Amino acid sequence: MKLAIDIGESFQIAISAIRANKARGVLTTLGIIIGIIAVVLTMTAANGLHNQFRQSFAAVGADVIYVSRMPWVVMGDFFTYRNRPAIELREARELEGRLRGRGIVNPSMSTQRDVKYRAETIDAMRIVGTTEKQMLVSSGRPQSGRFIMGSDVTYKKNVCVIGTNVRDGLFGSANPLNKKIKIGRAVFRVIGVMEEQGGSFLGGPNFDRQIFVPITSYVKAFGGQRGRQSVNISVKAPSKEAMEDFEFVVIGEMRKIRKLRPAEPDNFSINKLDTLVGAFNNVMGVVLLVGLLVTSISLFVGGVGVMNIMFVSVTERTREIGIRKAIGAKRRSILLQFLFESAIICLLGGVIGIVLASLLTAVINTVLMPASVSVSIVIVAVTVAVAVGVVAGFVPAWRGSKLDPVEALRYE
Amino acid sequence: MNNIETSGSTALSLRNVTKTYVMGADTVHALRGVSIDIDRNEYVAVMGPSGSGKSTLMHLIGCLDVPTSGTYSLEGRMVAEMSESQLAEIRNRQIGFVFQTFNLIPRSNIFHNVELPLVYGGVGKAERRERTELAIKRVGLTDRMKHKPNELSGGQRQRVAIARALVFDPSIILADEPTGNLDSKTGDEIMTVLDGLHDAGQTIILVTHEDYIARHALRTVRLLDGSIESDVKNGLGAGGNH
Ligand SMILES: Nc1ncnc2c1ncn2[C@@H]1O[C@H](COP(=O)(O)OP(=O)(O)O)[C@@H](O)[C@H]1O
Ligand SMILES: [Mg+2]
Repeated sequence: MKLAIDIGESFQIAISAIRANKARGVLTTLGIIIGIIAVVLTMTAANGLHNQFRQSFAAVGADVIYVSRMPWVVMGDFFTYRNRPAIELREARELEGRLRGRGIVNPSMSTQRDVKYRAETIDAMRIVGTTEKQMLVSSGRPQSGRFIMGSDVTYKKNVCVIGTNVRDGLFGSANPLNKKIKIGRAVFRVIGVMEEQGGSFLGGPNFDRQIFVPITSYVKAFGGQRGRQSVNISVKAPSKEAMEDFEFVVIGEMRKIRKLRPAEPDNFSINKLDTLVGAFNNVMGVVLLVGLLVTSISLFVGGVGVMNIMFVSVTERTREIGIRKAIGAKRRSILLQFLFESAIICLLGGVIGIVLASLLTAVINTVLMPASVSVSIVIVAVTVAVAVGVVAGFVPAWRGSKLDPVEALRYE
Repeated sequence: MNNIETSGSTALSLRNVTKTYVMGADTVHALRGVSIDIDRNEYVAVMGPSGSGKSTLMHLIGCLDVPTSGTYSLEGRMVAEMSESQLAEIRNRQIGFVFQTFNLIPRSNIFHNVELPLVYGGVGKAERRERTELAIKRVGLTDRMKHKPNELSGGQRQRVAIARALVFDPSIILADEPTGNLDSKTGDEIMTVLDGLHDAGQTIILVTHEDYIARHALRTVRLLDGSIESDVKNGLGAGGNH
């Protein structure tokens, strides 16, 4: 009860004190405003990146191991990877045989071709040769029509399943099913359209700009193997928990297939969602670091400004402190009074910062990437602003609360 | 006399109280061994030349400060043994201060200025409103409740200060030259208010330079250079001077 009254009084004093010094309050909060903008933008960017990453790689299964010639994220000397032999379809089949009953194996190859339907052309679509097992190792599903079947692969059918961007580009709103399109120089019949996967992430593949064809037709049409195109092998582990052990099994079998001697290094790479997550975390780390740096510098500067203003405020109101103490204010009451003032100044700065950051986010949303300020970000920003206010106001408030009442009353 | 201290009518009692200020190399003896007892419902004027220690004495009695040596008991409680927070509570509930310079909070309106001791005392809102309005009514400023202090005359401001001093029903009202900043006519008005409070049972201690102000009180204590020079009952009934 007593504390509640104290808080109410402190709040009132703070508001009227700030009202009396509007310009000064706003000026000192500039650092806080910038700091809060930095907080909000950093968190919004991090959120946005995270969402986009999840969306973009939803098709990459967490329980799938990808065996390919190159690592997804190249570290170190690129040329050691260049000299590796391409993975052949034959090797993929052999791996499938060796892992039978343990993991599902799907080979795939990809290249880029221009794609045509009547007068419409789209350049450089990603053409993926795969099998019906694609459905077992990836989460992407057809939204209309069907996916490639075993018989399409066996009989080298020229059929294809297209991504939403391909459909929009070639057909607009017309129905693409059973239409014949030209991929490079070969003609394929559209048998399905994949669900939308979301855009590309930081230059990564855009799954909506893909066309799936049977891997056998792919080899026939785009000459895969002779052009030393390497096969990517997706291997689905029995479970997510078994991933780590299973990775060694896959490596072991691949080494046997390639007859590598114990001293020889792997001449293929194992890729996982984890690899991407690692790379993503690096990007995220940089974003967060820069954000944190800008945030802490501006909040520090802002905090020092607020501390200064609070020292001025305490000094200006020395006599008032004396009066309040003379009529029974305890140290706690005086301390609270100034802490509130400081916190409210920073809160005002924080609110201004949040508003400005929201406007900036709206701009980012239209020109750069999907982004929005969430409620949790606002809560964090408000908390940070108030915390800065409390920290910055503490020493001045403490000093004010310790003033000797008689001395304070004599202050002119 | 011991029976005075134990009697139920004693409001406060000082024994050999000294107050020394050390300012660098200088030591100022503001009070040099003051002993005084004041009963409930007394009306005391403290007089003496400037620098004689009147304000210092008021500060000690009002628990704004503590003696360098000596003992002070207020309503039977030893002040020297109290914590800062307990002193604040005493100032809040038992003491009502009236200053020469009014000392109102400029940004707050009259109502809030008067209400403030109740706020610090943790009194609930409804009771605060009732007591505040009553106190303001007692000094005749009900129509000025929403005004800021700078919209009032000096005499009105001092009446607000008196309302604030009495709002929590203190044991003692301490007024340090309450008329010092007022013309004599306004000063008289203030004294009329204080006289009224005394008639209603309030204990009042008042510092003044003016004899005509001091004559409102029933007892006059004269300080000189930090010591009590004289302590006499006023008026005819007591058989003292005048
Ligand atoms: N806070 C203080 N620090 C130093 N000296 C003080 C202080 N307060 C009062 N004094 C000194 O103590 C003496 C008594 O002062 P005061 O009680 O204010 O006298 P009065 O109110 O009778 O004019 C004076 O000499 C004054 O200068
Ligand atoms: Mg004085």
